[in-house]
Amino acid sequence: MIHLYRVSKIFEGIPALREITVSVDKGEFVFVTGPSGAGKTTLLKVLFCAEHADEGQIIIQGMNTFRLNSSSIPYLRRNMGFVFQDYKLLPHKTVFENIALALKVIGAPHGDIERRALLSLRKVGMDKKEHLTPLKLSGGEQQRVAIARALVNEPQILLADEPTGNLDPQSGQEVFRLFKDINMKGTTVIVATHDWETVQKMQRRIVAMERGKIMSDTKDPVLDKAAAVKFKQEPSSR
Amino acid sequence: MRGYGPIYTFIEAYRGLRANSLVNLLATGTISMAMLIVGFFLVVFLNLQAAVGAMGERLEVSVYLKDGLTEQDKDFILTRLKAEPAVKKVVFLPKAEALALLKKELKGQEPLMEGLGENPLPDSYEVTVDAKYADAAKMEALTKRIAMFFGVEDVSYGRQGVAVLERMLKLVTYGGFALAVLLGVTVVFIISNSVRLALYSRGQEIELMQWIGATRWFIMGPFLVEGMLVVVLGTSLSVGILAVLFHALPREVVLFLSGPGGLDFLPPSVIAYMIGGGGALGFAGGLVSVNKFLE
Repeated sequence: MIHLYRVSKIFEGIPALREITVSVDKGEFVFVTGPSGAGKTTLLKVLFCAEHADEGQIIIQGMNTFRLNSSSIPYLRRNMGFVFQDYKLLPHKTVFENIALALKVIGAPHGDIERRALLSLRKVGMDKKEHLTPLKLSGGEQQRVAIARALVNEPQILLADEPTGNLDPQSGQEVFRLFKDINMKGTTVIVATHDWETVQKMQRRIVAMERGKIMSDTKDPVLDKAAAVKFKQEPSSR
Repeated sequence: MRGYGPIYTFIEAYRGLRANSLVNLLATGTISMAMLIVGFFLVVFLNLQAAVGAMGERLEVSVYLKDGLTEQDKDFILTRLKAEPAVKKVVFLPKAEALALLKKELKGQEPLMEGLGENPLPDSYEVTVDAKYADAAKMEALTKRIAMFFGVEDVSYGRQGVAVLERMLKLVTYGGFALAVLLGVTVVFIISNSVRLALYSRGQEIELMQWIGATRWFIMGPFLVEGMLVVVLGTSLSVGILAVLFHALPREVVLFLSGPGGLDFLPPSVIAYMIGGGGALGFAGGLVSVNKFLE
């Protein structure tokens, strides 16, 4: 589903990604871990075409992103949901309107918007608060709304960048539970996080990064403890 | 129905207008003033053009005769004039009658006539030309031919008046065009700035829309429509103000400014072009800012 081959990205002479080669299969759940500045966010941004890689090849769902022109990028993004650390909800719009916007931008049929938005909110348990504005919600609730927005167009891939970074541990657990449910339904999930405790508990594939390089790729964390130990010894500075 | 399409674009544009009402109000006011100047020049230009056209196609030619011609000479000239295919009607105007007409025209300014002594005006034939020959080039050729007739002193059909008007028309055309370009650039600048403010105030929303798969045109649409609406509104306002001013002109001023065809306001087609052109300028102004912002 996703293939990266020797992908590099340099920001003002400083390499953010160094010859990254990794593949993610359909339906996989992958944690991208590593300390601050490891290149996790850049990796997700490159996948989302928010940043252009300087070298290498990126194939997403059979499309080579290097060959995509800028007008095709929105269509690629419609197959991917993105969850941000700071939620990126529009404060002057209600919860419902925030979700509906994601449907409007893709030209969803007018009659479907209400039904699909409410369905998505129901999945994350936020349908009762559809009329509230984000500022009246807790951090955990805001992140659940952001997840509902990412899922409303039923993307095949969900990317999340430090989704629990601003949340208390309990809300963080709820968010990861949601990701697990989403993944169980067949969506490929890639989460960049330094929440090591959750990563350990979830027992999914771990791609550990450091200074723009992949240091280890642990397909089965239960069998391969080496990466886990290494990661634990170098806690995040964030 | 597939998506919101134009309805979404217009609703968002309306929201944008309301959200930045003060900026848009100022922009509308400034644009209406700029378009008022353009409209004023258009009124002058169109009326002047009509006057030049009317004078250039004037169908009356005065053929002034030399002094001391015999009746036979005059009859001969009359015969030759009637033989011209372009000539429809010829009326003899004796010098005494011409003086009486002049006095009538100068009524109230009699001192101008004092000291004239003997009647200085010549006898003349007032020639009416067939409408088929109402063309500046044909009229020029006809008057040149008549001027060559024996006994003819001079021929006049208002060439000088036409030349003066043509010079004025040229001046108004070039001046007006330069001013329109300048004001057009100003309008684009005003709109691009007001749209830029709107873009900055909604920067977060725009960034998010890009992340969730909105196309460039979906994002740009409401801002471009917003720019267009501001200019269309400003232009319509300027046409309204111009119409009120035009109809409030005192009768004396209208008579003073009137050409042979009277003084006309802007025809509906020109108003439509003004509003349409204004809308295009608004679109261009919006496009400049949105493109810059999205890049």
